Amino acid sequence: MNSMRGNDDARLDALLRAYRDACPTPEPSANFMPNLWQRIESRQSFTFSFQRMANAFVTAAVALSIVLGVYMSIPRSNSSSYSQSYLEALADANTLDTPDYVSPVRLDLSDPGR
Amino acid sequence: MLVDFELIKRAQKGESAAFNEIVLAYRKRILGTIARLIARPEDVEDVAQEVFLRLYFSLDQLRTAEVFEPWLHRLTVNAAYDYLRKQRRRQEFRMSDLSEQQVMLADAAAGGKVEHDEQYRKKIRESVQSLLGAVSEADRILLMLKEVEGLSLKELEKIYKVNENALKVRLFRARQRVLKAYGSAGTKEAAGWDR
Repeated sequence: MNSMRGNDDARLDALLRAYRDACPTPEPSANFMPNLWQRIESRQSFTFSFQRMANAFVTAAVALSIVLGVYMSIPRSNSSSYSQSYLEALADANTLDTPDYVSPVRLDLSDPGR
Repeated sequence: MLVDFELIKRAQKGESAAFNEIVLAYRKRILGTIARLIARPEDVEDVAQEVFLRLYFSLDQLRTAEVFEPWLHRLTVNAAYDYLRKQRRRQEFRMSDLSEQQVMLADAAAGGKVEHDEQYRKKIRESVQSLLGAVSEADRILLMLKEVEGLSLKELEKIYKVNENALKVRLFRARQRVLKAYGSAGTKEAAGWDR
C-alpha cells in the first residue's frame, strides 16, 4: 500500500516536472509596455477623479458644519421667550381657567337677617 | 534579485523609466510563472499586466529590498488566483448552458486534436490541468509554486506569511487531494500517467 502511495508520489513529481518543460515561457508582445502604461494611466485618472470627488464632498461637509456651528452659536436677543425664567414661561403658558377657586372670597355682611 | 534597491527607490519616487526597468527585468519570469499557473496562453499577458499594475500602485508601501521578490510573487499569485476564480465561474456558466450531449461532443473534439511532439507536451499540459482542476485554486497554486516553480519553503513562507510547519501541512494536504483525484475512476487514464 505504502509502496503504491510512494509510486504515485514519484509519478506526480515526474508529471509536474514534465509540465514545467511542456509549458513554454511566452514572449511578451510588442504592445506589452504601451498597454501596461495605458492601464496605469486609466487607473490613475479614475483614482484622481474619485479623489477629487471625495475632496469636494469633504470640503462641502466641513463648510456646512461651520455654517451650522455659527448659526447655532448666535444668541437670539430679540426673542422674549428666552429672557423669561422657566416658571414665568410656565405661568404664561398655563393661564388659570378657573379663577373662582383662587379669587378672594367676598362675604356680603350688609343684611345679617338673611 | 534582478534589480537593485536604488532602482526601486527611484520608481517609488514616481520615475517612470525606473519602473520600466523593473518591469523589463521581471517581465519574462512573471509571464512564465503565470503561463504555468493559469495555462491559458491567450490570457497570460493580461494577467501579467495586472501584476505590474498592482505593483505600480503599491510600490510606495515597500520598505526593504529583501521583501521585493516575495512580494512580487505574492502579487502574481493573487492575480492568478483572481483570474482562476473568475475563469471557474465563467466555465460553470458556459457548461451549464450546454446540453450533456454537447459537452460530450466538445470533449471528444478536444481529445482528437493532439499530434506528435507538441502532442505529447499538450497531453502533459492537459493532464496536469485536468488533475489540478479537481482541487481548489489555492491548492493548485501552492503545488505549482513548490513543485513546478521550484520555490523553497523559506520563499513560500514569505509569500504566504505562514510558518514552515503550516506550509508543510498545507502542501501535504494539497498533494493528498491531487493524488485522490488521480486515484479516482478514469482520471489515471485521462492523465496519461501510464505512458
